[in-house]
Amino acid sequence: MTTDTGFSSASSETPTRARLLFVEDDDTLAREVVEELTARGFSVSHASNGQAGLEAAIRESYDLMVLDRMLPLLDGLSVIETLRSQNVQAPVLVLSALSAVDDRVTGLKAGGDDYLTKPFAMDELVARIEALLRRPNDTRATTLRVGPLSMDLIDRTVTRDGREIELLPREFRLLEYLMRRPNQVLTRTMLLEDVWNYRFIPQTNLVDVHIGKLRRKVDATGETPLIQSIRGSGFMLRVQT
Amino acid sequence: MSRPDNPRFGVLRTATFRLTLAFVAAIIGGMILQIVLLFVQMTHFESARSSAILHREADILVQETPQHLEYQVRERATNDLRVVINWVGLFDGHYHHIAGDLKTWPEGLRVDGKVHRLTLSPGDDLPYEMRFLAVRVRGGRILVLAHSLHLLSELQYMIRRGALLSVFPIVVFALLTGVVLSHRALARVKTMHEAIDRIMQGDVHERLPAARERDELERLAGSVNRMLDRLEHLMDEVRDVGNDIAHDLRTPLSRVRARLERATSSPHDADHLNAVIERATQDLDQCFSVITALLRIGEIENGRRRAGFALVDLTDLVADIVDLYEPIAETNGLVLENAMPIDGPLVVFGDRDLLIEVLANLLDNAMKFTPQGGRVTVSAESGPGAIHLRVCDTGIGIPDAERDAVLGRFYRSDKSRHVPGSGLGLSLVMAILRLHAAELAILTGPGEGDLPGCCFDMRFAFPVGAETARIEGYGT
Repeated sequence: MTTDTGFSSASSETPTRARLLFVEDDDTLAREVVEELTARGFSVSHASNGQAGLEAAIRESYDLMVLDRMLPLLDGLSVIETLRSQNVQAPVLVLSALSAVDDRVTGLKAGGDDYLTKPFAMDELVARIEALLRRPNDTRATTLRVGPLSMDLIDRTVTRDGREIELLPREFRLLEYLMRRPNQVLTRTMLLEDVWNYRFIPQTNLVDVHIGKLRRKVDATGETPLIQSIRGSGFMLRVQT
Repeated sequence: MSRPDNPRFGVLRTATFRLTLAFVAAIIGGMILQIVLLFVQMTHFESARSSAILHREADILVQETPQHLEYQVRERATNDLRVVINWVGLFDGHYHHIAGDLKTWPEGLRVDGKVHRLTLSPGDDLPYEMRFLAVRVRGGRILVLAHSLHLLSELQYMIRRGALLSVFPIVVFALLTGVVLSHRALARVKTMHEAIDRIMQGDVHERLPAARERDELERLAGSVNRMLDRLEHLMDEVRDVGNDIAHDLRTPLSRVRARLERATSSPHDADHLNAVIERATQDLDQCFSVITALLRIGEIENGRRRAGFALVDLTDLVADIVDLYEPIAETNGLVLENAMPIDGPLVVFGDRDLLIEVLANLLDNAMKFTPQGGRVTVSAESGPGAIHLRVCDTGIGIPDAERDAVLGRFYRSDKSRHVPGSGLGLSLVMAILRLHAAELAILTGPGEGDLPGCCFDMRFAFPVGAETARIEGYGT
């Protein structure tokens, strides 16, 4: 699929599909990821070096870019910096084999929007792409309404169809995060990073326990379960739209 | 592995031989100095003595009448057996000879009653030095007395000769001793070189000969041996760690392999295949978790990255981690307690993310080894000279004998080998604490009976300028 220019594009039949640019120099990994993302409904272009990636990103207008940190010809961070200076504002997800917190910080400082360490699970990548494509609901609203759930951010109260739900502060924070991203897969790492601001991989099923506690309060017996586990990926607050 | 020393000049190029040469030079220098000082002293003494003699004799002779003096001078010239005055001469006011064996007026001699040192060059003889004293006597005459220092010259000649004769055997003897000693030193160094060569060729158990450490060379060899012991120990550790890790990776990998192999030969039922793939992925994830943990430890240990260091409030940190782990503890039937004794900021200088990781690992650990109904506490307090951060449990505890080992690099208790996770949590904790220059100690826990529990006690230094930070209200 890759041509001499280091750039290739998978077919995009419907214009409504999100257009992604994937810049990665490992061709085997790139092929797997491109196929998987295409199968999941994205229109994906691939560039195998930083220079080709930068040119493609400036030429086409992508909805999102997934960028490896270490690329031939031009490294990932320089690509982001150049793009931002050229006023290309599409969100960038940085991939890296380096896991150091410092690297993460420099990656985000350079203008990246999220950072994912290799090796990653495909579900994790997809969930993060989705999260970046769908920016969370307006943060200035003082009341969040998602399906039967209603959250008052001032009084810090939550009701489901009028039934008041008593939540601990940490449960409130978790539910708020879920309610700002309804119908979206949220992985354990995303929750740990965004809700608790922790960047380590716990040895225990921390997040599952927290979600379990919240779920017992939100989804009372007989009610339609709103907080759902997505097998192999994470969790979702699923509501009818 | 060639040695720079040429065997022919080997002995001459040793420190011992160079020391010998320096010693020989010192001996010769010392002798020269001694002789010079001796000569100066002798000359001084002999001059003083001869001046005294000349004056004494002159004083006696000046008293005599002219006739008697002339007689005395003649007598002395022929019969003076004392050989105190070597020459005597009586001259008139115009320096013409009247009597005595000194026939001519010594050139340059002044009549001032002082002793003068003059060189005479009589006809066929070699020039020689004499000491003269000229005094005026009655009748306008001049009496000249002379005394020679030949005795001094002879003594000095003998001493010089003796010294020259003795220098030669001394130097030869010193050089021979030096060669012999150098040869012995060289032989000892050679055995050490051979031992080092064997070590370099991979025989890590070889040691340098350092029998009883009775001199500096053997003490040095002893130090080198102790260093080699330490290195060998570290190498063993690293090899053990390598083996352990290889083993830990091989177990899940062989499971993956077996599953995949069986899946290909068994009926291709989609559900079954999915289950196999899922479990294989889980096993691979476990491999990744080991590799990730190792890389992370390496990164923390090598990087010395302190970019993320700032003032961290342990009160917040403990509250956060307890908040995060409380539901887990509840699920496991444990009580997790924030046991902070005071309610106020307690600041250390560190990396918040890494410190959270330390506490998370210690809590994971504590919960794994504490049975239902137990209690896990997290606390931090300011002690004398240090700030203590503690995670205590009422679990099975760690026996005294195992505590040091637990804190060693990459220690993995057999008990923890079969507990899920990378098993490198404590190693990671140690690496992070080393980065913080914090000390970790394992204390006996608050439990009783079969469940003594244990406390992981971390000692942090007080941060510099913590007081000001507290007043200004550091970032929250």
